[in-house]
Amino acid sequence: MAGKRLFTIAEKEFFDHVRSRKFLLIFGILLVVAIVGMIGGIAEYNKSLDQYNKHQSAIQSPLSSYMPVKPSILSVFSSVATYLVFVGGVLGIAMGFDLVSKEKESKSLKILLSHPVYRDEVINGKALGGILALAGALGVVLFIALATLLVYGIVPDGNELVLIAVFAVVSFLLIFSYFAIALFLSTAMDESGSALIYTIIIFIVLSVLVPTLSNNTVTEFVIGGQPELPQELLDQMQVTPRNSSENSAVVFSTKISAQGSSDAWDRFNERMNTYWEKRQAMHDTLALLSPTMNYESITSSITNGISGNTLVMSAGSGMTTNAFSVSRTGDAGIGDKLGKIAANIIALLLFPSVFFGLAYIRFMRLDVR
Amino acid sequence: MIQLEHLSKEYNGVRAVNDLTAEIPDGEIFGLLGPNGAGKSTTILMLVGLIEPSAGRCLVNGLDVARDPITVKQQIGYMPEDVGFYPSLSAEENLTYFGRLYGMDIRTCTRRYSELLPLVGLDGVKKDVGGYSKGMRQRLGLAKALLNDPSVIILDEPTANLDPQGVADYRQIIRNVAREGKTVVVSSHILEEVSRVSTSVGILSAGRLVAQGSWQNLARDIAAHSPCHVTIHIETQDPIPEFSHPDLISIAYDHEQHGAVIIARSDIRDEVADHLAEHGVRLRGLSREGLSLEETFLSYYQVAG
Repeated sequence: MAGKRLFTIAEKEFFDHVRSRKFLLIFGILLVVAIVGMIGGIAEYNKSLDQYNKHQSAIQSPLSSYMPVKPSILSVFSSVATYLVFVGGVLGIAMGFDLVSKEKESKSLKILLSHPVYRDEVINGKALGGILALAGALGVVLFIALATLLVYGIVPDGNELVLIAVFAVVSFLLIFSYFAIALFLSTAMDESGSALIYTIIIFIVLSVLVPTLSNNTVTEFVIGGQPELPQELLDQMQVTPRNSSENSAVVFSTKISAQGSSDAWDRFNERMNTYWEKRQAMHDTLALLSPTMNYESITSSITNGISGNTLVMSAGSGMTTNAFSVSRTGDAGIGDKLGKIAANIIALLLFPSVFFGLAYIRFMRLDVR
Repeated sequence: MIQLEHLSKEYNGVRAVNDLTAEIPDGEIFGLLGPNGAGKSTTILMLVGLIEPSAGRCLVNGLDVARDPITVKQQIGYMPEDVGFYPSLSAEENLTYFGRLYGMDIRTCTRRYSELLPLVGLDGVKKDVGGYSKGMRQRLGLAKALLNDPSVIILDEPTANLDPQGVADYRQIIRNVAREGKTVVVSSHILEEVSRVSTSVGILSAGRLVAQGSWQNLARDIAAHSPCHVTIHIETQDPIPEFSHPDLISIAYDHEQHGAVIIARSDIRDEVADHLAEHGVRLRGLSREGLSLEETFLSYYQVAG
C-alpha cells in the first residue's frame, strides 16, 4: 500500500511536469540545441576524420614523426554538452523550484497531508515524478542524438555506446543536481518566487562563480605562478625565456627531455610537478562544489579523449591542459577512462544526494498550520 | 467517536491548546466554538494528525492519532478552513487523485465523485479548479471530506465562503451524515452557523475548553449567568391580565393594557405566553429585546478569557 501511494503521487507529479507549459518549452529548446549541437559536432567529426585519414596516408613516409589519434564519435557530443550545461540546469530548476512551495501557496499541501500518506511518501513521490520526467526528456534527446548519428551514417561501436550511455547518465545527474537544489529551496521557502530567485543565485554561483575561481589568474594568486625555467637550462637550450602566462610548458616538455639527467632539470621538473599537483588539487576541490565543473570534466574526458586529470578552465579562460599530465587516451580502455572520471562522477552524485537529503529533512519538519 | 485526553499544544512557549479533554460520541454534530486564536484550528490539526500534540492524545474510534496516523486518516474526512486543490486539474481529477490516496480504485473514485459532485452542486462544472470561486472550492472541499465515506468528518469554518443556497445544502448534508451515525466536528466562530446544525457544543477560549454540553443546556446556562436583563415586548388584542413571576423585575402597561414591556432576569416569554393563553387573551406579538445570542456568547468568551 505504501508503494502504491508513492507511485500515485509520482504518477501525478510526472503528468503535471510533462503537461506543464514551462517543461514543454524548455524541453523543446533542449531538443533544438541537441540537434543543432549534434549536426555541428558531426561536421567537426567528419573534418577531423578526413585530417586523420590524410595523416594516415602521410605516415607511410619515413620522415613523418607525428602519430595522429583517430577522432572519437564521442567528440560529436562535445557541443551538446556545452549547451546542456546551461539548458539542462535551467530545465532542472524549472521543474523543481515550485514543487512544494506551489502546494503551500495553493493550500493543497494541508489537504494532501490530511490523507493517509506519510510525509516521506509525498517528498519521495515528488522527486520520483521529477526524475521520471527528466529521464524521459533526456531519453528522447539521446534517442534523437543517436538517430542523427545514424542518419549521417555514423555507427558507434560497443565501447562508444557505453561512453554515450555514461554521457547520458552524467547529463542526467547534472540536471538532477539542479532539480534537487530547486526542490530543497522550494521546501525551504514559502513562496515560489523566492525559491526561484535563490535557486538562480545558487545556479550562478555554482556554474559561473566557482569555475571562475579556478581560472589562471585566481589560481596563480592562491598557489603562486608557474615555475620558470632556470637560466642554466635556458642557456643550454639557447631559448629566450617567455612569460609563464604564455603557457610555455609544452615547449619545455618537448625540447628538454634530452636534458633529463641534469640536476637542474630534475629540480625544475619537481617544482613543475608540485605546481601542477597544487593546481589540480585546487581545481578538484572547487569541482566538488560545482556540478557544472564536474560535468565539464567528465564530458570533456569522454568527448575529447583526454584523461580525467585534464584541467578544464572555463568561464572565459578557455581550455588549458596540463602538459605534464596530458595523455592521449584514444586507445585507452573504457575501464581506464571510467576509472579516471570516477571521482567526478561520485562528486556529481553527491550533489543531488545532499540537496535531496536536505529537502527531505526540511519537508519532514514542515509546519503545515 | 472522538476522545481528546488532556490535549495540549505549545508554540514557542505559548500554549495554543491547554489541557483539553472532551468526548464526542457517534452520530453527534459537535460545534467547536471560540473567537479567533482560541485554539480551534490547532485542536483540529492535532485531530487530523497534521501536527503532534505537546501533551495528551487524540483518539478517533479508539485509535491514537499520533501513533497510528495512517489508519486514523483513513477514517477521517477533513475540510480545512483555507481549502486548496490542484488548480490545473478538474474537480473530478482532484477527487480521483485524493481517492487513490485512500486506496480506492478508479472505478470507485468515479462512482464516488458522480454521487458527491451533484450533492454539493458542482455537477457538470467542466473548468479546472483554478477557475473556481472560493464558494465553489468550499463545496468541492465538502465533497472531498465525504469522498472516503468517513466515520468522522471534521470541518473547519465550513460556511465561510458559501452563498445561502450553499449553506442550506451544507446543513442538509451534515444532518444526513449524522443520521447515518457518523461523528461530525464543525469548528467555527460563527455562532449562528453552529447553533443551526450542532447537537452539542464546546467553547474554547485562550486554548481552554470553558464549556461543553448540549446546545440547549449551554444556551440556558449562559443566559442564567448573564448579568444582563431581558426586555420583553407584548402586544395583544385583549387587555393583558395581571402577571407575576419570580424573575420579573418590572412590568409597564400601556393605557388600554393592550401592550406591555416586561423587564425580567431571564427570558420568560414561554411563561408569559402560557399566562395569556390561560386567560384567553389573543396575542398579537411577543418579542425579546436584549443581547443577541452572539453577543451573549461574546460576553461569555470575555468572562471565560
